[in-house]
Amino acid sequence: MNLAVCLLCIILVPLATAGLALIHQGLGRSRSAAHAMLATLCALGVTAIVFVLIGFSWAGYPGDLSHTAQLAGKHFDWLGNEPFFAAGLSSSLLKGPYAALVLALQMFAVGLASLIPISAGSDRWRLASICASSALLAGIVFPLFAHWVWGAGWLAQLTPLFGLPSFTDAGGAGVIQVVGGLTALSVAWILGPRQGKYSDQVATAIPGHNIVLVLFGCLLALIGWIGLDSAASMLFHGAASVQVIVIAINAMLSASGGCLAAVFITQLRYRKPDASLSANGWIAGLVAGSAGCGLISPIATIFIGIVAGTLVTFLVETLELKLLIDDPGGAISVHLGAGLWGLVAFGIFGPTTGSRAALLLAQLVGIATLLGIMLPLIHIGNLLLNKFVHFRVDADGDWQGMDICELGAGAYPEFVVHADEFVPR
Amino acid sequence: MVSGWLLALAALLLLAGLGQRFAFVLAGLLVELLGLGLVAYRYRSLQRGTQ
Repeated sequence: MNLAVCLLCIILVPLATAGLALIHQGLGRSRSAAHAMLATLCALGVTAIVFVLIGFSWAGYPGDLSHTAQLAGKHFDWLGNEPFFAAGLSSSLLKGPYAALVLALQMFAVGLASLIPISAGSDRWRLASICASSALLAGIVFPLFAHWVWGAGWLAQLTPLFGLPSFTDAGGAGVIQVVGGLTALSVAWILGPRQGKYSDQVATAIPGHNIVLVLFGCLLALIGWIGLDSAASMLFHGAASVQVIVIAINAMLSASGGCLAAVFITQLRYRKPDASLSANGWIAGLVAGSAGCGLISPIATIFIGIVAGTLVTFLVETLELKLLIDDPGGAISVHLGAGLWGLVAFGIFGPTTGSRAALLLAQLVGIATLLGIMLPLIHIGNLLLNKFVHFRVDADGDWQGMDICELGAGAYPEFVVHADEFVPR
Repeated sequence: MVSGWLLALAALLLLAGLGQRFAFVLAGLLVELLGLGLVAYRYRSLQRGTQ
């Protein structure tokens, strides 16, 4: 592994968080814009601290100590066993930079995952509870699944355990995106819709306030995603540094497929392309492509992106109109929906020397684990947190906007119309 | 949802044939999706009531 290339890729990852932050605040209302950006910074801060202090010891890394459980004569590696507070980092640095690189990547990755629910809870989720939920994500939820997939846990050891290929998630479609998407779903359920969203049993469209920032965020996210996919592939799948080129090409292709599919579908359905759904299509393409980044052919990657972009346009509508889930930024559709599709797509298009059905089965086992273990864990955790740190802002705050309610000042004070400016002089 | 995952895990532990395993893991996923649908339906009813 080329240390310089890997380090450079890890340094690019915060650009993905910057991109997602811009997308989320642009798709929310202007009266909560500053709150959304501050919540992003706070979530990144909380996740970084909690993950380094606690989470990393449970996430671990391949070749490290771990907790195992015996079931039907088989040893299941289910939790990392690193010292808390990253105490083992200095001694592991003597053996090489691998552990430190894993810690750095996962610290940014968990920050990225924590931004996904902020979008779903936009305009009504209190700052204190955002920090509490982010701490839960970084301290327990993310490390658990990251260990199973990236830390040589039981999902990465399906071959010795069951004779199946390993569950593969090269760039974090499951570990980051689906886990973040499941948290977003849980938060949206707990918070309920924004006031006025479903008045008279009809869904009211509440458009985002700055689509230019949203589209600029998409471009930033592309650069960050290339770094994320490349670093994860190098650290957890032994990809060579030259493979970064293929990963970059595939990331661009999947994003392009997703965006163009969303443009085409919305043009067909609404007679004009929808900018916010097209932006979601771009991110959905990146999300779906990250499961097999660099391991899948470019033509298959384009197809994966197209399906992801198409899927998102329908999922956003289904969640909003049929399930009455108010997700202002479409985060659940983009990260959960496209992430799950990406994991399935790796089973269909991923490289295999054995049976294709076995590869698909391994991917389905990973998806079953995400839905059957991670979602209940996330939802119960968030429900408990909601008892102690109430998630939803009060009714006045809902109308005023989160900026005035929680920060005491708006993001765009010049937009305020002052009555005295209209007084005849 | 947890019972769906347990069904999938039991299929891997107890069955040897790929076809059988595939069928039971799919069945486990269907159980999970049923559970997800029921939770979604419950929250849908709650949200209808609050508006």
